[in-house]
Amino acid sequence: MGRYITRRVLQGILTLFLVMFLLHLLTTLAIQLNGNPAQAFFGDRTPSPSQLAAVEARYGLDDPCYDQLGNPCIGPFVERLGDYAQGDFGESLRGREVTDIVSTAAPNTLRLFAVVTVTWLLIGMTLGGIAARRRGKASDHGIRGLSILIDALPVFVMLLVYKYIFSVPASRWAKETFGADSFPALLFKPSFSPQHAWVTVIIPGILLGLAGSAAFIRLVRAAQLETYNADHVRTARSKGLSERHVSRHHVVRNSAIPVVTAVGIVFTEALAGAVITEGMMNIYGMGGVLWKAVQDSDVSVVIGIVTLLAVVTVVVMIVVDVVYAALDPRIRYE
Amino acid sequence: MKTARLAAGLTALALVVTGCGGGDGDDSEGDGDATVKLTLSQDVDTLLPMDSNVGDNISVLDVVYDGLVRYDPKTTKPYNYVAEDISSTDNTVWTIKIKDGLTFQNDEPVDADAFVRAWNYAAYGPNAMANNYFFERFAGYDEMQGEYEEDDEGNVTVTTEPTAKELSGLKVVDPQTLEVTLNGPFAGFATMLGYTGFFPVAQECIDDVEACAVKPIGNGPFEIEEWDQGQSLSAAKWDDYSLEETPDYGRIEWVEYSGDSDWADFEAGDVDASFPPPAEWQAAVSDPDLSSRMVEGPGAALTYIGFPMYLGKPFDDIEFRKAISMAIDRDTIIEKVVPGRFVAADSWVVPDGVPGGVAGTCEFCTFDPAAAKAALAKAGGWPKDKKLIIHLGEDEESEAIFKAVGDSIQLNLGIPYELDPTPDYFDRRSARDFTGIMRANWFPDYPLNENYLAPVYASGDPKLGNTSFGYYNADFEALIKEGDSAPDLESAVTKYQEAEKVIASDMASAPVAFSRNVMFYSDRLDNVVLDPFSGEVKLRQLKVN
Repeated sequence: MGRYITRRVLQGILTLFLVMFLLHLLTTLAIQLNGNPAQAFFGDRTPSPSQLAAVEARYGLDDPCYDQLGNPCIGPFVERLGDYAQGDFGESLRGREVTDIVSTAAPNTLRLFAVVTVTWLLIGMTLGGIAARRRGKASDHGIRGLSILIDALPVFVMLLVYKYIFSVPASRWAKETFGADSFPALLFKPSFSPQHAWVTVIIPGILLGLAGSAAFIRLVRAAQLETYNADHVRTARSKGLSERHVSRHHVVRNSAIPVVTAVGIVFTEALAGAVITEGMMNIYGMGGVLWKAVQDSDVSVVIGIVTLLAVVTVVVMIVVDVVYAALDPRIRYE
Repeated sequence: MKTARLAAGLTALALVVTGCGGGDGDDSEGDGDATVKLTLSQDVDTLLPMDSNVGDNISVLDVVYDGLVRYDPKTTKPYNYVAEDISSTDNTVWTIKIKDGLTFQNDEPVDADAFVRAWNYAAYGPNAMANNYFFERFAGYDEMQGEYEEDDEGNVTVTTEPTAKELSGLKVVDPQTLEVTLNGPFAGFATMLGYTGFFPVAQECIDDVEACAVKPIGNGPFEIEEWDQGQSLSAAKWDDYSLEETPDYGRIEWVEYSGDSDWADFEAGDVDASFPPPAEWQAAVSDPDLSSRMVEGPGAALTYIGFPMYLGKPFDDIEFRKAISMAIDRDTIIEKVVPGRFVAADSWVVPDGVPGGVAGTCEFCTFDPAAAKAALAKAGGWPKDKKLIIHLGEDEESEAIFKAVGDSIQLNLGIPYELDPTPDYFDRRSARDFTGIMRANWFPDYPLNENYLAPVYASGDPKLGNTSFGYYNADFEALIKEGDSAPDLESAVTKYQEAEKVIASDMASAPVAFSRNVMFYSDRLDNVVLDPFSGEVKLRQLKVN
């Protein structure tokens, strides 16, 4: 197991390096094609050349390679890797440390993802499990229909409906009934509040989780159906074990492998949804910060955050693989 | 004094402990401890006065700092505040007397030095402050920008550091007297001085600019308590404030929101003043309860169409420009696309907003399809099968407006059009890279009609004209100069008005829409007045129940 993990970590580091290099090439090309992002510092104003030069120097955009189309700018890349290795992730266009921005934004996003993942697993396991056990019956059709419905409803529509139709009257009512700082009042608050970081993130998290849960429902159903028909389940049944014992110990555990894999993949996909969710529910998170930074051509923030997200993704993938291997010992003995 | 403050503190503590603090604000009627909850858009990234130039940080700094002059919230007319007196005999050399005994929130004196250090810092090119260009009129500005070389591709290398670190036009006569020398006469100089970029700063602020950008050391009625950047900002009343303009509530809390996402919180009662997203606009104005708590006022921004006159035909033909202008049905476009937030423009200076603004100076801003067709024919028509390109920045709202403008032109003049939203609008515009008409916008920096005219159309370059459009008119430039050197502000304003008439008779651009400030407020607030410039609530006038 130890060797397997070491190998996966080394692969992860290589992947990370490749991602960073690709990202560097893309931003360099964008700068070479689109012109100087230092201009963004000045907004609507046309800066004097010396001001522009000062800003360029401050953000390391003064290397002449950025003016030569097609030059991969290896020098600044190596420099940046060196800075990163020392924990220096640079500054935003307004002089705020990227690490500082990330340390404020990341906990919010991670909280959101924690709620999202729990929602996925709960909804997916429960509904998918029921559908598999009652294959072909009304509840199976109902659950499958529901998953299609969830898929068809974009996350922002769900959020809009929640925010303007449900949440405003509900939070008002809860406020008047239980008081402004009561749990229900905070739960129904239309937007996230940093003072109550966990309570207020529950509803946006559930909604975002619900939007991604359709894939899980179907996946769990398919995986469990396969296991129900497997030889070892038939053997277990024929030994006279109770149906409950069979499904808990033989079906759910064995069908968990594809589900764990999917958590890893969907986790990265959910970021797109998080940008919208964070924007609409006013959560100061990674998605929202990234969105803003791209709009403002704030290169160091974009690179810093995407790198961090790549790290998170790689780590999640490694964890998934390890869990995978733990669930199915065949995998680590290739 | 100390006992009183202690008592107030204890009362506040008691209120919090007994659970009233988080209520709907009904706890604090008249005791001056109320908290106002407002919105900031997440664009705010600094609170350094020299670097603050968006509506949001300007409105925060308006209660944290006091300037030499302040503006009347209704008329925008300036009056002396920190300044005892501002005078000049020739409009070039100005003597500013500063009130005695004023201090910053860290007890440093607010004196002539406090202004000199702030202005020098702002004017020094390599500091790259957003308000740098405001000091262009000061003697010695150019020496502080440095020397550079620019190659054919526009790449810049600084060859010489700036030769000066201080404006030669600033002289401290004595601690309370500052003498300012400008490059040339400018009658409106005192008008500029209430702008955020001219606020004084403490020495401690210059010593640690980064800290000051996050937690400013002001001289105004409120002190910044804490700013979690991107999340929230709070300010509490400064007890030692000695001037008169201070509100009777105790705290301000701003929550930072992205986009329109604060509207739901406003409806739920967590925010005291807000503005609905376009989709919610109709519902908000037709709700009698909500619309009774709405304030409106004229905005200061002008959206207009610029013509690339440097390209020659047909853009340099005045009849063509008239034709485009008269073909646009401004009222209908605004009503259908952006109801409530704009009004059709009929002049180049916002009429009710600033001194010198007059309505109706644009004769050809009235929708008249027949006259438009006739004018186009006079200009020689539009080449068949050629599309009129409309250049604009990447912004959803202006794309919607200018799609409607394009439709209007296509419908009434038969000219097919194409929108060209571009991310590097300003770069391309100053490089004269545009091949068609362009969406332009002007937001004034200080309340004077000159600010709508000189920075936009004057260039002093008869051959090439101004950078953006290639416009030049010697009469216009002369009138602006006459205005600048006029003996007093009133006659200056009149000269600038004459300059606007030149723009009108040249139809140098086509005004499209004036912004309109609208705000909804909660039933806790009273006396809600909007700043015509930023559109934000005037916090010093505000009353909280």
